[in-house]
Amino acid sequence: MKRIVVIAVALSAGLAACATYGGQTVSSAKSGQSELVGLRRITATQYRHAVDDVFGAGLKIAGRFEPEVRREGLFAIGAGAATISPAGLDQYYVMGADLAEQVLSKDRRAKTMPCTPAAETAADDVCTRQLTEKYGRLLFRRKLTDREIDQRVALAREVAEKNKNFYAGAQEVLTSLLSAPDFFFRVERRLGQAEALDAYSRASRLSYMLWDTTPDEALLAAAEDGSLLTEAGLSAQVERMIASPRLRDGLVAFFDDMLQLQLFETQTKDPSLFPKYNQQVAQAAREQTLRTVLNVVYDKKADYRDIFTTRETFMSRPLAIVYKVPYGAKDAWKPYTWPEPSGRAGVLTQISFLSLFSHPGRSSPTKRGVALNEIFLCQTTPMPPNDVDFSVVNDTSSATLKTVRARLLAHANDETCAGCHNLVDPPGLALERFDGLGQRRDTENGELIDVTAEIDGVKFDGAPGLGALLHDDPRPSECLVRNLYSNLTGRAVEDLAEEAKLTGLTKEFAAGGHIVPAFLKRLAMSPALYSAPKTHNASGAKS
Amino acid sequence: MRNSRFNRRSILRGMIGGGTVAVSLPLLDAFLDGNGTALADGVAMPTRFGTFFWGLGLSPGRWVPSKAGANYDVPAHFKFLEGGLDKKTSIFSGFTAILDGRASHPHWTGMAAILTGNSPLKVNSFDNMPSFDVKVAEAIGGKTRFRTIEATPYANGRSSYSSSGGDNFKPADDSPLALYTRLFGPGFKDPNSADWTPDPKVMVKKSVLSVVKDQRDALMAEAGASDKVRLDQYFTSVRELEQKLDNELTKPAPCEACVVPTAPEALARKGDVPTIMRNNEMMSKLVAMALACNQSNVVNYVFTNATSEIYRPGDTPVFHAHTHEEPVNTKLGYQPISNELSQYSVDAFGVFLKALDEIKEGDGTLLDHSLMLGFSDTGWAKIHSIDSIPVLLSGGGNGKHKAGQHIVSGAEPVTRISLTVQQMLGLPVGSFGTQSMTTSKPLTEVMA
Repeated sequence: MKRIVVIAVALSAGLAACATYGGQTVSSAKSGQSELVGLRRITATQYRHAVDDVFGAGLKIAGRFEPEVRREGLFAIGAGAATISPAGLDQYYVMGADLAEQVLSKDRRAKTMPCTPAAETAADDVCTRQLTEKYGRLLFRRKLTDREIDQRVALAREVAEKNKNFYAGAQEVLTSLLSAPDFFFRVERRLGQAEALDAYSRASRLSYMLWDTTPDEALLAAAEDGSLLTEAGLSAQVERMIASPRLRDGLVAFFDDMLQLQLFETQTKDPSLFPKYNQQVAQAAREQTLRTVLNVVYDKKADYRDIFTTRETFMSRPLAIVYKVPYGAKDAWKPYTWPEPSGRAGVLTQISFLSLFSHPGRSSPTKRGVALNEIFLCQTTPMPPNDVDFSVVNDTSSATLKTVRARLLAHANDETCAGCHNLVDPPGLALERFDGLGQRRDTENGELIDVTAEIDGVKFDGAPGLGALLHDDPRPSECLVRNLYSNLTGRAVEDLAEEAKLTGLTKEFAAGGHIVPAFLKRLAMSPALYSAPKTHNASGAKS
Repeated sequence: MRNSRFNRRSILRGMIGGGTVAVSLPLLDAFLDGNGTALADGVAMPTRFGTFFWGLGLSPGRWVPSKAGANYDVPAHFKFLEGGLDKKTSIFSGFTAILDGRASHPHWTGMAAILTGNSPLKVNSFDNMPSFDVKVAEAIGGKTRFRTIEATPYANGRSSYSSSGGDNFKPADDSPLALYTRLFGPGFKDPNSADWTPDPKVMVKKSVLSVVKDQRDALMAEAGASDKVRLDQYFTSVRELEQKLDNELTKPAPCEACVVPTAPEALARKGDVPTIMRNNEMMSKLVAMALACNQSNVVNYVFTNATSEIYRPGDTPVFHAHTHEEPVNTKLGYQPISNELSQYSVDAFGVFLKALDEIKEGDGTLLDHSLMLGFSDTGWAKIHSIDSIPVLLSGGGNGKHKAGQHIVSGAEPVTRISLTVQQMLGLPVGSFGTQSMTTSKPLTEVMA
């Protein structure tokens, strides 16, 4: 009942949004009718997906994207704090101009132009207007204002007349759209002091969460006719989007973010110690983990927690060399099941996690433990104190402390260090039979590596034991729900009331069998997730 | 001649027939005054400024001269100064970051104190404050093509500590090829080329940007305070891009010292010492030449980030791990491997300075017309000390720096150095820093 009331309020606010913002003039925004409550910079993949969806696949995107910003464990949250540097805008401008040229190339015009200009050698304001309206709406995720359109029509006219070429002007229209703040930033608005976001903002949240891209025609239409702000209308869109194979794009983007796989782009390994490591291995390792996770959560629609235990994965030739398994397939990828003696099961035993959270030249149980806690349990580890004696950890010549494990345990006996190391080291120690690249090893300095460990009084053995423990631990599910929630809202949980909401959602996730797509549907239907942040700092003019 | 500008109409007219404009330039010497200290039109050689950061400090006891004041004895870590650079470089020891009751964030607080004058509340944040290089760039950026250059040989574009606020850090070009492409790739005009042809497309780009910029008022009117900061940064980027385009439409003044470099080859991304040192040499030369070619007056160069993970090939721990794990050799009195790796880091600064000093410009060298501030994040990485953080200031600053001195402090705030540099560069800054690090006392002994 409560939900219906909220929707009714949202509906009235949203319809007002449609009535005013759809054809809104700049002065109406200034008058306080709409308020900007969020700016989320689109990611590199969101840029790529938008270009593919808006202009058609096959365009070459050449250039460098701004580095993403990670906050509270997610780029999805950092996007709300990121901006665009001068060097970055320079790159984006060149990228946009290059795309505009491709979109309007002779062989693509038939598909990309919404109209035919009266003459190719002259300006055509009517056709330019149609072009601007069509692509502006898709790229800005809303209808353009009259002023925004008029300026672009004037720009196109000037360039077309000077060059005696309609398309020279049209290209600049597209370049201006692809260089605008409304394209780079997902702008979230509410009307006045309404709790709910407007319909366009709701469409964007849905689209980026589920498909990692700009809202499509149907979603924008639902925003514009107000139906997206009704329970039935929202449900129809959510059903459509969850049923689409595009959901895979959304999940790939989400897990790539959550698992911090972008670290592969800057990872280095010492070639004298790990000669098998190269860029092909890095790219394949990233893909292997995404394929493994998607196989569980999307292809099979299985229990999310199986990602910690599954022996089913996918293999490619570069990876097979590192894993030392035969690879006879002609295809680039093939399904592969780890034999039990391999000691590998779940994503924690793949090259991605094992190598990303190691040093360039050696494994690090502490790095792995810290990363596991942060990524899968949403627990951050405090910084080490200032004056710490780590000397014993590096004393590889020790006659008694032959393994990293032994040296680390000796170090962690220090009272100052014990508190944190007892939290982070056990999972890392259980993974010690995999070196800094993720290759299997059984001994270190001639001594068999002991991979037994204990967390909260529960003893376990090696990577399979760790995977089983995590599978049955409620915290990874809580953490996933928290991350999915933040992926939608673009911010960390704000207060205790929201924490309570998360607890309820986590229970629902568990009760539903930890099935991610079904839970996403539930999440996407929650009106509270389309509200403006409470901590929003209102503009000076209004506060 | 520096202001010979083509307006938008004239460029667009030029596009009609596909025609271009060619301008011949007179002999270069005609553009310098009789004694080479300034351009013939009376404009002085511009002062350039740079920050050079390296992570994890130096070995205590191996970088502080025993003698204070002028003619200091060159300490072990700074052997690269021998042969003349010592006379162009001041060393500051004993300056510290003051916490004011806040936590000391390892590898962050010390660097943040120098750049912002503040001890930040959390790591990876400057408390939304800008780093002072941004103000410097606003003051001395002039009409160069780039307001600032950010670069790192460390193969990670996130290695940057230059922030215009909002806890956003400008990304750095992180390979020789990326840096070359930005500085000398598309849009670069050789100032000494006999023919100069403005690119008609540049004027059109300006028209496009003016359309983009028009959204500013509408967005700013709606935005809350924090979003306003970010929007403002975005539109500042637009303005800087416009400035770059203006520069590209202006016939450049000839530069005696500018020799356009050739493009480096694409290299594999690696983090070992030989690779990073090779990158450093190439990128130092590119930066120096970009300054000499008037592409920018300000550079922020990060040799490695504060938790440097460079490594010696075949050695399993990285630099950061060594600093914490390696025992102090009681005979030597320092950590030998950490010392070696920090020596590489500070030698890289030497390579950077030499690249500037090798470029003759007017009556001296490019370094004589520059102020380059080299510093790290810690006084001793092993214990994350923020006392006596190593800081060097090199270059004559166009006569503003009384170089060649060792300035010794008794735990005064590092902000005194930051303030001194800003005042030397002519910024109207009376005080700098927050709480106990607030200072209005520059180090006048190094100011000419």
